[in-house]
Amino acid sequence: MWKSILYKEWLKIRWFAFIYAALGILVVGNIFLKVQHDFEFSQAENYWYSILFQGNQFYEYSLFKFVPLLGALVIALAQYFPETVNKRIKLTFHLPLNENKALLAMMLFGAFCLLAIAAVLVVLFTGLSGMYFPSEIIQSALISVAPWFLCGFTVYFLTALIVLEPVWKYRFLYLLVAATLVPIYLQTAAARAYSPALPLLIVFTVLLSVALLFSGYRFRKGEM
Amino acid sequence: MNVIECKNLTHYYGKKLVYEKLSFNVKEGSILGLLGKNGTGKTTTINILNGFLHPQNGECLIYGENTQNLSPQNKARIGFLIEGHVQYAFMNIHQIEKFYSKFYPKWDNAPYWQLMSKLQVSPKQKIATMSCGQRSQVALGLILAQDPDLLILDDFSMGLDPGYRRLFIDYLREYAKEKNKTIFTTSHIIQDMERLIDDLLIMDFNRVLAQRDVKSFMQEFKQFYLELDDPSVDISNEDFVINSEKVSNKLELYTYESEDTILNFLKNNGIAHKNFRQVKMGLEDAFIGLTGKY
Repeated sequence: MWKSILYKEWLKIRWFAFIYAALGILVVGNIFLKVQHDFEFSQAENYWYSILFQGNQFYEYSLFKFVPLLGALVIALAQYFPETVNKRIKLTFHLPLNENKALLAMMLFGAFCLLAIAAVLVVLFTGLSGMYFPSEIIQSALISVAPWFLCGFTVYFLTALIVLEPVWKYRFLYLLVAATLVPIYLQTAAARAYSPALPLLIVFTVLLSVALLFSGYRFRKGEM
Repeated sequence: MNVIECKNLTHYYGKKLVYEKLSFNVKEGSILGLLGKNGTGKTTTINILNGFLHPQNGECLIYGENTQNLSPQNKARIGFLIEGHVQYAFMNIHQIEKFYSKFYPKWDNAPYWQLMSKLQVSPKQKIATMSCGQRSQVALGLILAQDPDLLILDDFSMGLDPGYRRLFIDYLREYAKEKNKTIFTTSHIIQDMERLIDDLLIMDFNRVLAQRDVKSFMQEFKQFYLELDDPSVDISNEDFVINSEKVSNKLELYTYESEDTILNFLKNNGIAHKNFRQVKMGLEDAFIGLTGKY
């Protein structure tokens, strides 16, 4: 039964997941094309000098900044919007499953896809970085991009909450909350600046993961 | 044995009362049609039965369980058709059969594929691109394959042309009677119900107008036509008059009383008339007679 739920979710998001993964890979490729270019034309010594002594001007991984956010938004919309057309979520709630568990299975599948794509991108990014930079710089870069990937998960969980919410007034309210929360992950900051805040952001993001249960409960209660 | 038991249901939308203390039962093996004009609470009742709405008061039980907390085992016994034959439109007919088959222990795909073979759809065609009639057959096929003990059908005739409606009803009735299934259904096309249902529940705004088996209702509820000599005579407030429609001196009278009782009343009260006759009614005529045209 649970495999069937995952099958349904996969049918909804598969093309969007591929597009997100492909976009991410293109962005990583683009970052390292630029690194390669700078190494060739600025000389490696100058490039290193600029990274180490000129105010943390790391390589252009900031291209990553909005990619997880956009990917998560598209996947969440692809997954949850079809459930709201003609109140199709009724079909899912009518399946012989606990309603909350069904919603959690949907959420876990979407989050797992985001995680899998993030893992592919991070592995690719780390591997290519290893060809040019020492581990200290790579570590700093990974800590710097971590909030952006976390932001993707936050956007995914908030989009699920908003899309499944049956009342427009509340959707608008949640949208305002999202507009306040999401920029926290995307502040312009020096490399590793998010390091002390990361554990807290991770806890906060994980807590948000169950927010869609509230919208599901409100729908089943008959809010309209 | 009652499959559905609803007791003292009361519900409001804001301050608007939908109904108060509505109670009804559906017996095992019967087909009950919930009839009513738009806004009388048909979909509200369906939503309460499916656990998508908490009534302000009262409760509904299906197989003894409150519908607000149906167990997965009981949900597997209920086939649910959403108004407009809504299904997962992003799937094709193979994908949707594969999806649902894993949920239901009694799944039998033979009736589903039998219905699908009659549709002019390609195997990979998404349900979203099918006509309303084709979608209705997909939804019906899935319910038949599920082999539920209780079918809850919300306005199954919506958007269907007469051919598909007839196909849907004939399939459904034969299936239900052959396998002793219980059906709770609504439809805004009353003629369809006449071919399908055993019992009816007719709702009006805030109240139940009739709750009984169709056969006895059609025998006892009558329409009389007469032409009054004096068009100003008004008998609409008499106890035996359930409803009346008067145009000029032509009076249509709806009542549970016999022809003799009406004739005696007219005679005893000196109401002169002509062309008195009983009019044969179908279920739709009776429904309009009971609920009024407006």
